[in-house]
Amino acid sequence: MGVPEKLEFFVDPNRCIGCQACVQACSECDTHRGYPMIHLEYVDRAASVQTLPVICMHCDQPTCAEVCPADAIKRTEDGVVQSARKPRCIACNNCVLACPFGVPRMQSDLMMMMKCDMCYDRTSIGKKPMCATVCPSQALFYGTREEIELLRPRSRPIDRFQFGRQTITTRVKMMVPRTGRVEYLDVASAMHSEPIGNRLAATDDSEGLDDLMFAAYEEGDAQR
Amino acid sequence: MGKEVFRAGVWGVAVTTILALLIVIGSRNLAHFDAALVGYTFATLFAVFGITYRYAMWLQRPPTALYWRRGWQVFFRRGFLLRNLGAWVGRLTGEFALNRFIFRRDRARWGAHILIMWGCLIAAAITFPLVFGWIHFETLPEDHTWYRAYLFGFPGFAFPIDSLFAFLVFHGLVWASFLVTAGVMLAMRRRMRDHGAAALQQFGEDLLPLILLFAVSVTGLMLSASYTWMKGYAYDFLAILHAATVILTLLWLPFGKFFHIFQRPAQLGVSFYKDAGERLEQARCRRCNDPFASQMHIDDLMEVERKLGFQYEIDDRAALGADHYQRICPRCRRALLGLAQGSAWTNEER
Amino acid sequence: MARLPQQQQSINERYGPHPAFSTGVRLATGIEPDRVVKTHCCFCGQQCGIELKVKDDVVIGFEPREDFAFNRGMLCPKGVKRYLQGAHPDRLLTALARDESAPGGFRPMSYEEAVRRTASEINRIQSEHGRDAFAILSGASLTTEKAYLMGKFARVCLRTSNIDYNGRLCMVSAAAGNKKAFGIDRAANPWSDILDAEVVWISGANVAECAPITTNYVWQARERGARIIVVDPRITPIARTCDLFLPIKPGRDIALFNGILNLMIEHDWLDRDFIDNHTVGFEALAESVREWTPRRTAEVTGIAERAIRQAAEWWGRAKTSFLMHARGIEHHSHGVQNVLGAINIVLASGRIGRPGCGYATITGQGNGQGGREHGQKCDQLPGARDISNPEHRAYIADVWGVDADDIPGPGVDAYEIFRRIDRGEVRGLLSICFNPKVSLPDNNFVARMLDKLEFYVAIDFFLNETAQHADLVLPGSLHEEDEGVVTQIEGRVIKINKAVDPPGEARQDWRIIQDLAHALGRPQGFTFSDPGEIFEELRLASKGGVADYSGITYEKIERQGGVFWPCTDENHPGTPRLFEPGSWNPVARGAGPFYFPDGRARFNIAPYTPPTEDVDDEYPLMLTTGRVVSQFLSGTQTRRIGPLVEQYPEPRIELHPQLAEKLGIRDGDWATAETRRGAITLRAHVVKTIRPDTIFIPYHWPGRQSANQLTIAAQDPISKIPEYKVCAARLSVRKAGASTEQTETNGTNGRI
Repeated sequence: MGVPEKLEFFVDPNRCIGCQACVQACSECDTHRGYPMIHLEYVDRAASVQTLPVICMHCDQPTCAEVCPADAIKRTEDGVVQSARKPRCIACNNCVLACPFGVPRMQSDLMMMMKCDMCYDRTSIGKKPMCATVCPSQALFYGTREEIELLRPRSRPIDRFQFGRQTITTRVKMMVPRTGRVEYLDVASAMHSEPIGNRLAATDDSEGLDDLMFAAYEEGDAQR
Repeated sequence: MGKEVFRAGVWGVAVTTILALLIVIGSRNLAHFDAALVGYTFATLFAVFGITYRYAMWLQRPPTALYWRRGWQVFFRRGFLLRNLGAWVGRLTGEFALNRFIFRRDRARWGAHILIMWGCLIAAAITFPLVFGWIHFETLPEDHTWYRAYLFGFPGFAFPIDSLFAFLVFHGLVWASFLVTAGVMLAMRRRMRDHGAAALQQFGEDLLPLILLFAVSVTGLMLSASYTWMKGYAYDFLAILHAATVILTLLWLPFGKFFHIFQRPAQLGVSFYKDAGERLEQARCRRCNDPFASQMHIDDLMEVERKLGFQYEIDDRAALGADHYQRICPRCRRALLGLAQGSAWTNEER
Repeated sequence: MARLPQQQQSINERYGPHPAFSTGVRLATGIEPDRVVKTHCCFCGQQCGIELKVKDDVVIGFEPREDFAFNRGMLCPKGVKRYLQGAHPDRLLTALARDESAPGGFRPMSYEEAVRRTASEINRIQSEHGRDAFAILSGASLTTEKAYLMGKFARVCLRTSNIDYNGRLCMVSAAAGNKKAFGIDRAANPWSDILDAEVVWISGANVAECAPITTNYVWQARERGARIIVVDPRITPIARTCDLFLPIKPGRDIALFNGILNLMIEHDWLDRDFIDNHTVGFEALAESVREWTPRRTAEVTGIAERAIRQAAEWWGRAKTSFLMHARGIEHHSHGVQNVLGAINIVLASGRIGRPGCGYATITGQGNGQGGREHGQKCDQLPGARDISNPEHRAYIADVWGVDADDIPGPGVDAYEIFRRIDRGEVRGLLSICFNPKVSLPDNNFVARMLDKLEFYVAIDFFLNETAQHADLVLPGSLHEEDEGVVTQIEGRVIKINKAVDPPGEARQDWRIIQDLAHALGRPQGFTFSDPGEIFEELRLASKGGVADYSGITYEKIERQGGVFWPCTDENHPGTPRLFEPGSWNPVARGAGPFYFPDGRARFNIAPYTPPTEDVDDEYPLMLTTGRVVSQFLSGTQTRRIGPLVEQYPEPRIELHPQLAEKLGIRDGDWATAETRRGAITLRAHVVKTIRPDTIFIPYHWPGRQSANQLTIAAQDPISKIPEYKVCAARLSVRKAGASTEQTETNGTNGRI
């Protein structure tokens, strides 16, 4: 058994509403019951409600596995990067610090790293991962390429990410606009980006609170 | 042949040779060496070569090499040696002898592991010295109801043949196989019932070791049963069968799951590395400015990544405020991913 | 005499809320469940399909249910963790009687004795003070069978007019508006119509947190090219990436709708044919909105004029559209007018009753729709019939086998019942599935009224904050311990299936009601042996009414994956979309698709009035309240589910950095919000996602953390919904000495 090649994971953080259904459902999985492995991250809550779920991207050449001094992290033949093998993991934290996506979690008291393994208990028998099944916004989608093309006519999956000079390709895909020329996401270059989305802004001439008018539309139209 | 392979090969040959010499010396020029056990001896020598070779290869991997070096450095750091020794004793008993970290992971798993581990340790402590001829027993010339143990050919203590002590010692392997058999049963039960384990386990990696241990224990017990109660019925056959299972297990040691026995002590080095890291300067994230790891760890990791061929260096340092992606904390890396994906949409639509 | 028996802490120690976490069998990964039961979530109106795993008569976990078309496996965090409400240490396993000397203020009592005592108290109060002196407060999370039985129990057994339910705090403005405009109260469309809309307009609905699964429908529409317009004082998660966000001042929705309609008329973005052939009242309405120029609309609503024009253009020019709203526009003293304003721009566009052309309120409670149709509302009889209508009374009297004259007349709304307690007109109360001490506005008044009752009996599975005032508590059933139907957000009737038996002496709520009827000596009509029998009578009672269930059977629900009412006979497949051209209904009888004798929809003039309590120098801020995704309503269940408590442990006051700077409040500071009714001290949450003139507090918590200490008891004159969404407030950094005790519900309770 294994995860069928035609079934893929597609992530579109732009859809995420931060409800944490994924986090709550993740802790119900058989391979790590009681410990959610997915991350639900606020980009900058003071400024925005922008959130994103972060699952393991299952890199083709996983940095976490390469930097592991204990040979504990294995990538299966079906392209799934597994959690550290329990007998080997020595809790050194290298994988946590090295993963360019910030995915692995260190369970210090258990002396081992745990990470999203694409719900191997479910996906290896043909089920969908827990998070993608429950996700109310379908920011997390699991299915075939044909399905995603049908469901997301304005989106397109990519699997290349740039971190400085390093290019990483992944089994998990991320959605970008179908019409654009984006071939990869330059993650490091987002260092000084503001959260994405509509803002509330006072006009320049406002003084007291009573005079506030809102120019949300001025920024909102950038969304179109 | 690569440099690493050659070096590991030399280590393997050296350690194996030393062991061979020790066998010759310890058994007083093979005087106490039981020729019937020669199969075991050669399997052990092969296993030692394999384990040393693989261990040496492993130590030469950039991350392992670095932590090996760093582990010893921080352990012997001036002013901390005493404290480190104290911690070492504590960790050896807590994490190793008692397997406390496995207890915290999963009680069922702990029960299985501690039984198997102690069973194997006892068995190894009895078997290897006997096989190598390092220990042998002789009846006291003045009293045939007493035995004396000889270590490396030197006389040791003596004890009565029909004492409880003698009964316990001469049946040591029986007790060990009881422990191992019980542990294997528990482990098998868990592997058959637990959905999570069922999803992840592989035959070669997870089930074969259990089967091997079970086979060694059961055939060993059958040997005991044969000479104790059945007047040596089928003893020769059973002896060969037992030898075959043991030799197979020995040969398997360097390759499969059993290798973790030799890797696991690295946990100690890591714990001292972490202790030292906490006392040292902390690296602050270049995005959120929060401390997230020791600067030593980040620096080491950047070196490891360079050696492995990764290029997380950032060219546009002036604009992005960091020269290396390692200088950004995991939480901010996740946020950056969201920002990068979000701006792919806004840039497109502008 | 109903009083809080002891120190709150002692009650909490005994009865919770204790947050439950997965332990033992629920945490084990090697357990094969005895059975897996297909049912639905117990929380919101979306009623997502879910499978419950049962081992040894305990619900031990869940599995996503992908065969239910509405959610296809999707769930929010509440649905995921709802299994933790079963086998809970706070669960009431026996009847309880008030006893000051007992730990927690109650002592266990035999169920039979508790029922006998309840019946004798009811008899005493009704004989001494008249039948109306005993009131019933019911709820919209009950199955439709139970809701039906509660109405019947009040009208036939107790013959009191005083019954109302907690839908009064939820869907009544939408219901009243829909009835005035369409003659029927139901979401007009299935959610699948959202997918084909060119414009999706969302007013006052925090879709992401209160109806999370609807998010996927909205995003799916966007993928297919739809433009999303969101109107809200806060940038909610659905507003963050919408195409046009209109940050409206709380309570100004009519102004916006009128302004939009005015622009539609000005640019002739109207469906003249539809208006001429299918509606009445447009000319008068058009005249009334003329004053709502974009400039004036902008001034009143606080939205930039350009944004209003853009919204009108997108809405006006669209070929298909879907407008939805929720409590944000309904929880107002002019909630019905807000709803009518929304319906006006839908009717003027002519985009209703066709594929991709829809309108709906996002119903809040699990059975918010079904629970408001079959007679637990003060003015209603089953089948959405009118209790004042002689024909309707006669039909129901016939079904019930009673004299029509014996059915009491209309009662009063839930809040008015408390005012009647104050006036001594109501002296006894039975409550079920309702926690008014947390959920009603100005709830310090509510607590005083509970203490004023001569006798109060509560039916519940946990001792909620209101039930803590009771003289007797009868142990009721959880959602998974009974079967029955509910009607979800789209008007789809679905089946709740029983997974486990009620534990201890707890029993199914309908059995308790029947036992009371027997103890009262009036068992006629209360001899059902299972919910299926109640449903059969309900089908008959609804026949010929607007909410006609007569063609629905349990078997058909399971076979079709739900049945949309009206469904008038057993061969009828149900009605997913209302108002389709040429459709028949019992009111218009073929004259047209809408539920009026002429078959035409009504435009209603919706005059703008400011909120009942507008800001002034003393209280310069607008306070608005709402929900968070991990909690549900008054939190009786969700505050007992550990992982949900951890997700958002206690309420915070949301405010904008500009306001925070002016007041010297930093994120995480203790801040005191005050209104004319009370004060509350909570942590400040300083975020740029709210208007600087508005503060927001979620309302799920009791006691000193309860936002409803502050809210105003002003009500809509038609729907009687309270004005939760806006009142005048002021905010300050916590004054020295003010209480910051946060331990009342959380601090003393350990993890379990």
